[in-house]
Amino acid sequence: MIDEKEFIQQLLDPKTQNTAFQKLISDYQKPLYSHIRNIVLNHDDTDDVLQNTFVKVFQYLKNFKGESKLFSWMYRIATNEALTFLSQKAKLKGITAEDLQKKAIDNLKSDVYFDGDEIQIKLQKAIITLPEKQQLVFKMKYFEDLKYEEIAEILGTSVGALKASYHHAVKKIELYVTSN
Amino acid sequence: MKAFKLENEPKIKSGFTTPDHYFDDLSTKIFELANKEKEVKVIPLYRRKSVLSLLAAAVVVIALMIPIVNNYNATSKELDEATLETYLSYQSNLNQYDLIQNLDSIDIQKLNKNVAIEDETLEDILATSPNIEHLISE
Repeated sequence: MIDEKEFIQQLLDPKTQNTAFQKLISDYQKPLYSHIRNIVLNHDDTDDVLQNTFVKVFQYLKNFKGESKLFSWMYRIATNEALTFLSQKAKLKGITAEDLQKKAIDNLKSDVYFDGDEIQIKLQKAIITLPEKQQLVFKMKYFEDLKYEEIAEILGTSVGALKASYHHAVKKIELYVTSN
Repeated sequence: MKAFKLENEPKIKSGFTTPDHYFDDLSTKIFELANKEKEVKVIPLYRRKSVLSLLAAAVVVIALMIPIVNNYNATSKELDEATLETYLSYQSNLNQYDLIQNLDSIDIQKLNKNVAIEDETLEDILATSPNIEHLISE
């Protein structure tokens, strides 16, 4: 595997840019898709957000300082894009972000690109009762299997705070599922 | 009811799937979009901060100039009349003969109408004026 710095150089060099960007997309399209899909829930919206994410990565790559890893930088862009998308959609429909998420979960049952049953729906319903940060932490840890260190770099928090956040999230979800 | 424990349950998958071959042509779509964004980067004029601030500055400057322009016009007109009068009275070589030379018959008729002096008035003036001889000789 090539060094990350070298890879970034290839991404910035007009001669190697296209090939390097192609590699970037093929490496990250699936994990970033899952990450965005877990936030926006529906496939079409995920498709839009994912494409915008890569375009932004492409546009802002020259400003990338290398202070964080390329991986966490891209996840951060994807997270911001997904959250901005949700708040804009909610604003456009004149409803709160929470109501928008509730609607999205109700639509999951008829979604052809959702292969889940009652327990998945119940878990999603439990997740939306959490504060935004806890939702993100839970989804990244539980569904995406990211390490605490990776999540900490993406969200810019300490590992300790994340562990506490995840612990609270799990407790609340268990309580919700037990009582519903 | 048995308490639900996430760790005791088999891992629950998110259940999200994608259309078949979705990822096959995703990179092509992204490249197209990225190139389009690069080519058509139209920033509306009204969204440019520099244009807006320049516009505001121009409006302020023009607004400040309005009273100056008004005053300038007014004072320059008055000045013209005053200068002309001073010039004619003190600095020109015009005398009454020059003026008379330039009068035509129509002007003289007009003057007669304006200065319609009765015979009696004329007699009074001639009788009371001490410089009558000077006037006659002239």
